[in-house]
Amino acid sequence: MTSLGKVLCGLALTTALVTAAAAQEKTLRIGMTAADIPRTLGQPDQGFEGNRFTGIPIYDGLTQWDLSKEKEPSGVIPGAATEWKADDADKTKWVFKLRPGVKFHDGSSLNADAIVWNVQKVLDKAAPHFDPSQVGVTASRMPTLRTARKIDDMTVELTTSEPDAFLPINLTNLFIASPAHWDAKLKAVPASVTDPAERSKQAWAAFAADPSGSGPFRVTRFVPRERLELAKFPEYWDEKRRPKIDKVVLLPLPEANARTAALLSGQVDWIEAPAPDAVPQIKSRGFVLYQNAQPHVWPWQLSFAEGSPWLDKRVRHAANLCVNRAELKELLGGMMAEATGTYEPGHPWHGNPKFQIKYDPAAAKKLMQEAGHSAAKPLKVKVQTSASGSGQMQPIPMNEYMQQALKECFFDVELDVIEWNTLFTNWRHGAKDQSARGANAINVTYAAMDPFFGMVRFTSTKTFPPVSNNWGYFGNDEFDKLIADARTAFEAKARDAALAKLHARIVEEAPFVWVAHDVGPRAMSTKVKGVVQPQSWFIDLATMSME
Amino acid sequence: MATLVGSAREIEAAPAKATGYWTGVWRRLRRDPVAIGAAIVILLIVLMAAFAEYIAPADPYRGVSLRRLRPIGTPGYPLGSDELGRDMLSRLIYGARLSLFMGVTPVFIAFFLGSSIGIFAGYVGGRLNTVIMRTIDVFYAFPSVLLAVALSGALGAGFGNALLSLTVVFIPPIARVAEAVTTQVRSRDYVEAARASGAGALAIIRAHVLGNVLGPIFVYATSLISVSMILASGLSFLGLGTRPPEPEWGLMLNTLRTAIYVQPWVAALPGTMIFVTSISFNLLSDGLRSAMDVKQ
Amino acid sequence: MLSYLARRFVYTVPILIGVSLVCFGLVHIAPGDPLVSVLPPDASADLQKVMLAIYGFDRPYAEQFAKWIWRALNGDLGSSIATGRPVTDEVIKAVGNTLRLAVVATFIGFLLGSLFGFVAGYFRDTFVDKLASALSVLGVSVPHYWLGMVLVIIFAAQLGWLPPTGAGPGGSSDWEWDWAHIRHMVLPAITMSVIPMGIVARTVRALVADILNQEFIVGLRAKGLTDVGVLLHVIKNAAPTALAVMGLQLGYLLGGSILIETVFSWPGTGNLLNAAIFQRDLPLLQGTILVLALFFVFLNLAVDVLQTALDPRIQRA
Repeated sequence: MTSLGKVLCGLALTTALVTAAAAQEKTLRIGMTAADIPRTLGQPDQGFEGNRFTGIPIYDGLTQWDLSKEKEPSGVIPGAATEWKADDADKTKWVFKLRPGVKFHDGSSLNADAIVWNVQKVLDKAAPHFDPSQVGVTASRMPTLRTARKIDDMTVELTTSEPDAFLPINLTNLFIASPAHWDAKLKAVPASVTDPAERSKQAWAAFAADPSGSGPFRVTRFVPRERLELAKFPEYWDEKRRPKIDKVVLLPLPEANARTAALLSGQVDWIEAPAPDAVPQIKSRGFVLYQNAQPHVWPWQLSFAEGSPWLDKRVRHAANLCVNRAELKELLGGMMAEATGTYEPGHPWHGNPKFQIKYDPAAAKKLMQEAGHSAAKPLKVKVQTSASGSGQMQPIPMNEYMQQALKECFFDVELDVIEWNTLFTNWRHGAKDQSARGANAINVTYAAMDPFFGMVRFTSTKTFPPVSNNWGYFGNDEFDKLIADARTAFEAKARDAALAKLHARIVEEAPFVWVAHDVGPRAMSTKVKGVVQPQSWFIDLATMSME
Repeated sequence: MATLVGSAREIEAAPAKATGYWTGVWRRLRRDPVAIGAAIVILLIVLMAAFAEYIAPADPYRGVSLRRLRPIGTPGYPLGSDELGRDMLSRLIYGARLSLFMGVTPVFIAFFLGSSIGIFAGYVGGRLNTVIMRTIDVFYAFPSVLLAVALSGALGAGFGNALLSLTVVFIPPIARVAEAVTTQVRSRDYVEAARASGAGALAIIRAHVLGNVLGPIFVYATSLISVSMILASGLSFLGLGTRPPEPEWGLMLNTLRTAIYVQPWVAALPGTMIFVTSISFNLLSDGLRSAMDVKQ
Repeated sequence: MLSYLARRFVYTVPILIGVSLVCFGLVHIAPGDPLVSVLPPDASADLQKVMLAIYGFDRPYAEQFAKWIWRALNGDLGSSIATGRPVTDEVIKAVGNTLRLAVVATFIGFLLGSLFGFVAGYFRDTFVDKLASALSVLGVSVPHYWLGMVLVIIFAAQLGWLPPTGAGPGGSSDWEWDWAHIRHMVLPAITMSVIPMGIVARTVRALVADILNQEFIVGLRAKGLTDVGVLLHVIKNAAPTALAVMGLQLGYLLGGSILIETVFSWPGTGNLLNAAIFQRDLPLLQGTILVLALFFVFLNLAVDVLQTALDPRIQRA
């Protein structure tokens, strides 16, 4: 054997050994769509993909989503808190009872002090550990939460700015990091750094590189922008969610083709969002595709500003009736669910809208003719969208499809494709701002698992730009009243009924063209077992196993 | 695509032209089959772009999504259909317009601006020259791709912004070549003589500088066209160039890339078009260079 | 010679100042909100104002620039908005990764390019010349990111011989020159080498042909110098320019790796740039551009100096 041959042979052997070791130590390797590892210090960025991979597996929230069911909408269940209740006399005060015996990965206890500390990290500018970089993603997801106060070791009181029945849902977004671990990181900051804000910043940077939460997985290795390695945390409090997998490796692979190639070549066991066109190939190579409708909406949000062509309700209804969603679904290789509203029939918040969204081109044309439009005299509309972006699915083909479909109903659609971050920013500037560049509809997808995010911010007069995302200035007293009713219904059933009423009215008024729900497609190797894909943006890694 | 600036420094002024110079250039060029072949291909592509309405069998914007991603040779779709069921042949034909435009325009504008700046700086010389050329050097200090990407990234995606970024990228190397050649020509005896005899600046530039300078810059600029095309398609690929639904080869390559598993040949077509056009421009530029006897 | 070097160094200073101004200016002409990566669109206007103040984006541009430059001179490029990590660390790591890839690619490109160029120039206007020249034109005409995608499909997705993405089995931080790591580099390095290959080949071909045409070579041949002797002479005379072109190519690859790194998820400067652009992470964006541009300026300087030192024919006044 030549020396080169020996080297090659040795290398092959090493590779084989490495592979064998990996097989014994059950490792799950995941290719994410994010361009970078979502932040690991508690409050992830990168949208809900961040919560999915560096939030929920590593941390607990006071409340959490039930990810164990495929068939019904995912609901909120107890997490680090076992029970909660709004004060009868003052509805802005909530008491949360904590779960005893919950430990952080560093061994310290999750108690009332830890909860107060974690509320302060984003809401109390005077706190030494206040971290501005975590404020944005957190504060806007819990818009009414103000302060926290310890009652005893296992009880905390949270205060909101106004009575808000949505608080327990919002709190799934507050991930509880270990204060003891952070203090240790702060002590390790060199004494030469004297500015307290700078010390805090460095402590958080150190915490992010070596975080400590109380979730079923703990971080073992972090290579920025390349990989995050998690190991199981065997002392996790919930027996049902003690991981069977030893190790999880997360890789950021933003390019769809790169993800597909990584799966096909065996570099990863699971990829998020495979390119629809690659799905037949992926399936034919023996991989499994999981998908389920998500509380996500792919819409055109319409403008009600002066002069907008959408002010005519007949036009709004016609657009909703003119899209053949089944054909669009086929175009996407089946990777979408047809949207007939923000919530679908069967969801407790769906209600009974009198206007039914479906594909009915005849009715659509008739409405358009009544509104004075025809093939010879089409209605010009302009839509702002992006070429890519979190949750945008396949924005270009989908919008081009819309353009074609609506042409049949006498719409002349102009697309204004801009950069994703700019689009996202414009969303808060509103249709009257010059950033809209004359567009009278905007195509920004949204998450709808929380009623504030799914409905309130688009229909309240208090959320007009620049306050929040009521881009098209849709709202009136009736909707403000419906919202107030839902927000103050503190009993779960009554709250759901009020929300269903709100949703029904939204569908009837049609401030959106509802098109699709994302189905969170992911392709996996058959070695991954026990996969439950819930009707959620999230998925539970802890209950899976590897062959 | 990183070619562009490397060769700028190596170009030198051609010797002063004798009469019948252009006849000679044409005679030499005519004898170069490769250059002529490349010129014919470019001419065909230009004609294709100019008469797209008459040649294209279908509407490049209209598609039937149920008939998407058909293979080459499907009846009604001679070169297959794209991800929205639009006719590939028609889109490729129409695509020649934007792609050529994106390739040629930045170089064209940069040719005028860059050579004006360069000739002016070279002619006036002195401190003004230093100021102008040091400013140009600052932009020259950025690798071309980096500058193009950073500029279009900063300005935001879009056709106009991509054109602008590419133009900015090409001005410095052209200006540098123009300045170097002009400085060289200016110091020649007969120019000095013309100056001394009181000829006006414009007259001198027209009579002596332009004739000697434009040739080499022109050759250099033709070699930039292929760079510009590839760079423009690269911007579209990153999502910083042309916007859908415009047919443009780089963008088509981008939107079809996920189809590469289903219809690899169809997905490869826009890339092939870019490749053929860019290689033709390169070969023509090579032919021109040797015909005009510009030293490399 | 010495005065040339001194002048060359002095010239570099205003360029450096200009480059840093351009970097800062480029990033700040950008439309869009600088805090978009940490501030969701539903954040209130008040929160936005508070955050702008915390990050210092409410200060006048001149002040922001002065502060940035002052810190940069001390090696601190600030922290990334999206990740909170120091930009300096991120850029240094990324430059290391890109450099590793670019050096290998330049080397492959230089070897192949010199070979093709030399053969073409030596056998000028023969069939061999045409073939070698065609290969080199191919190199500068192919959209290389597209070539990369095709290679991934063939060698990773279909044949499964090589990994399609990443910079090593455990990320780039534990890089070693063994096969487990090198196999991650094969596809991106080959794709990347196509550019310098074409350019080096074209330069070398012109150089070789030029040298062979010179009268003294004809004279040497007439005096009975062997082919080997001529060859050595040609190499000696062509080497400085070829090496200079190679050096510059390394610089272009460093700044132009964005497309290839996107296709292969290589954790280098291109990837960083892409992330910075699409997350609108201003400190990261201006830091990365600055470091790359500085690198390029100094590389240019080094190439110039080396070329002057190596090649006595070059007279720089």
